[in-house]
Amino acid sequence: MSARAGTADLVVRLPIERFTLECGARLLVSQRRDAPVIALQMHLRGGHSLDEPGLEGQAYLTGGLLDQGAGKRSEEEIAEVLETSGGSISGESNGLSAAAAAERWDTVLELAAELICAPTFPADKVRSQRQRLLDRLLLERDEPRVQGDRLFKQLIYGDHWLGRSAAGTYESVARLERKHLVAFHRRNWVARRAVIAVCGPVEPSRVAKLLDRALRRWTPGEELPYPTPELPPRAVRTAVFPAEREQVHVFLGHLGVRRADPDYPALVVMDHVLGAGPGFTNRVAMRLRDELGLAYTVHANIHGSAGVHPGAFTAYIGTSASKVPVAIEGFLREMRRIQDEPVGDAELATAKDYVVGSFALSFQRAARRANFMVTAERFGLPDDHLERAPKVYAAITPEDVQRVARAHLHPQACVVAAAGPIRESTLRKALASK
Amino acid sequence: MPHKHASKSKPSASHSAPAKVREHHLANGMRVLIAARHSDPVVAVMLWYRVGSRNEREHEAGVSHFLEHMMFKGAERFGKGEIDRLTTMLGGSNNAFTSCDHTAYWFELASDRWEKALEIEADRMRALALEPAEFNAEREVVLEELSMGLDDPWRRLTELVQSTLFLRHPYRRPVIGHADALKRLSVAQMRDYWRRFYHPGNATLVICGDVDPAVALERARAHFEALPRGASYEEADPFRPAETPEPGQRRVEMHWDDQGKRLCIAWPTVSVGTPDDHALDVVSTLLTAGRLSRLQDRLVYEEELATSISTQSDTRVEGGVFWLLAECAQNADPRELERVLDEELERLRREPPSAKELARVRAVLRASEAFENETASDFAERLGEYATDAHWKLAIESLEHVLAVDAKAVRDCAARLLAPERRVVGWCTPKAATPKAPSRRKNARRGAKR
Repeated sequence: MSARAGTADLVVRLPIERFTLECGARLLVSQRRDAPVIALQMHLRGGHSLDEPGLEGQAYLTGGLLDQGAGKRSEEEIAEVLETSGGSISGESNGLSAAAAAERWDTVLELAAELICAPTFPADKVRSQRQRLLDRLLLERDEPRVQGDRLFKQLIYGDHWLGRSAAGTYESVARLERKHLVAFHRRNWVARRAVIAVCGPVEPSRVAKLLDRALRRWTPGEELPYPTPELPPRAVRTAVFPAEREQVHVFLGHLGVRRADPDYPALVVMDHVLGAGPGFTNRVAMRLRDELGLAYTVHANIHGSAGVHPGAFTAYIGTSASKVPVAIEGFLREMRRIQDEPVGDAELATAKDYVVGSFALSFQRAARRANFMVTAERFGLPDDHLERAPKVYAAITPEDVQRVARAHLHPQACVVAAAGPIRESTLRKALASK
Repeated sequence: MPHKHASKSKPSASHSAPAKVREHHLANGMRVLIAARHSDPVVAVMLWYRVGSRNEREHEAGVSHFLEHMMFKGAERFGKGEIDRLTTMLGGSNNAFTSCDHTAYWFELASDRWEKALEIEADRMRALALEPAEFNAEREVVLEELSMGLDDPWRRLTELVQSTLFLRHPYRRPVIGHADALKRLSVAQMRDYWRRFYHPGNATLVICGDVDPAVALERARAHFEALPRGASYEEADPFRPAETPEPGQRRVEMHWDDQGKRLCIAWPTVSVGTPDDHALDVVSTLLTAGRLSRLQDRLVYEEELATSISTQSDTRVEGGVFWLLAECAQNADPRELERVLDEELERLRREPPSAKELARVRAVLRASEAFENETASDFAERLGEYATDAHWKLAIESLEHVLAVDAKAVRDCAARLLAPERRVVGWCTPKAATPKAPSRRKNARRGAKR
């Protein structure tokens, strides 16, 4: 068997039926006849970008409170339904996800709809849930990896909400009260901002009928525009969270791209060559882990965070303090190399074969399918995207990779945030290396 | 928790198996388990070796896990980097993991190309390179992995508790080993270890997914049957002391530079697949699975003494551990958390659970079936783990065993195994302040006994 035989033949077919519910929400259903579970994913446009100033964490806590009481059901009654039907529902800052054993699909979908439309935000539950979040945020204040990531996003996005954690800060969460959650839900959890995707062994029309009925009282509301964000220009910036630890967490990168960028497919392939390919097939893992033994965890990626707004190019390594300069120099060298030299044919073929061939493997779970449907809908991908993608990726050339690397990587304008036993001067010195 | 045993404590299982399993034995002693299921065009191939940190002598501590890394650094046919390169070109995934009882290698590939995994596994079982330069470079990676774990307070705490719970048995050591032993380890020692344990007579091959079982068996024979059987497990396995339970509760304590108050309690328990193993799964579900479980309900939601709490029945080949982990709420007194926990554990040891409670537990266990075996890899892992540590049929039958546990068995099992005098209690507290133990117990340092 030839190793490269047939990757382009591995096409995933994801049949989708679309509905517009009476409330105004969009519904996509993909039937998967033998699946043992059903999964629902609901994305709500807005999320924590709609937090009121000083009340950061508002969207996050609103989502987290959905299962603490809805309609006439108490939190205990909701738990009773879920635990006995193998179901789970989790509210988030920008939507909700649910899963259930297939035979109880209707029970769990009905319940999810009730949580979406009619959460009650009981005062005692708001207080206790907020306290648990405060406890978590207090611990995270001293957690180097969390703080390194937070500093990195701040260096890239400045004060813009894109640089903030959805969970908010200790101080902002401490200010949140029940009225803030009720108001947030009333204003922002509205049907016209929602995309719902369901995957499981159920007739699409039955899902649509159930959700149409269960969500009929959902406020339609108004769609939400996407203002173009004003973000700080790319430039060298550094920050350190000092901590006595064995390792330093290093985040290096800069502002990235939108999902709608026409270079996105070539950037996916570039990422797999540079820092996202599995095992030791990508350059940073090969060089920094395999050859230099600098780290157990090392990776780099620009496409993964691309969204409606620009994501970030992020290179991460967890390593001993003495190895940080070599690691930073290594990242910069690989960024420049992929800009300066065309990728070799064999290396490019490996990356493309993986991107195409792994499609077949990555859609086994119903939740993954539902998640993809939401993404496709949000970014306007055509329904045959998965069938067409292999051809798109197969057509990418070494010149394409070099062109997008030159256009979208900026080794001369990287920020570096590090957390652990390290000085900021060490980062600056390493960034200045050629 | 320190060992990769989580899946064992959950029932997969269903009254109807997720796939029909066929068991075969090659002439050289290699066991082959084949489970065909055609829901996706995917095949999971796993090779399990009956070797883990429990088989290590003191001076070899960490060699099982380090060897697992070296299995990706080249063999005779597939040189360094080739395994990842081929897997990637085939659009597949690979990985590996080591526990105290087994080491497993995993491939997931599309069903028109899964055989490549057999070629790779046969090559590195037969002729692993272990080049000194690669060995030295990879040792640095393993030491970085170890450092990563040392930065995790939960990992530090559970390792401290485990080393107090097992005073003699190798289960006391973390699977990754210790830096000093890793730094002294030689290529020759690793090669000797590989020779002793990496051969067909000590391996189970699992092929699960979109395959024709007859073809899969024929391909397994073609790649593995010519390999020599190797030494018997009994011959290869070094002597290790049996653990004699220490009487009396032991308390240990450590500090961390954050505000967390982390509690870890561990009891020594039983081997995989024993009747008590099933009863402990019920106990764990009763205590912490789901919002309505006893400890979640009372400690997290009603009295707000903990922000999170979990239990795990971590049964292993030569005994096991029942773990309880809780994070004390910032506004709560750790002594109160321990007092209420003790009340609940005393109730568990004294009274059988009510019929309603047991019905909830059974519903939770039954309903988890669908998620436990959703993909080919899910089922392959379950099958291989049970096959290596106990018997593969448990992968299919464990739910029935668990559902058959009655209220009295729950109480009796808890009374016997989860008694206070058998446990180790560990706290990780802020550097500045240390919570006092409940007044009826004295605080003591690591290893001390009452």
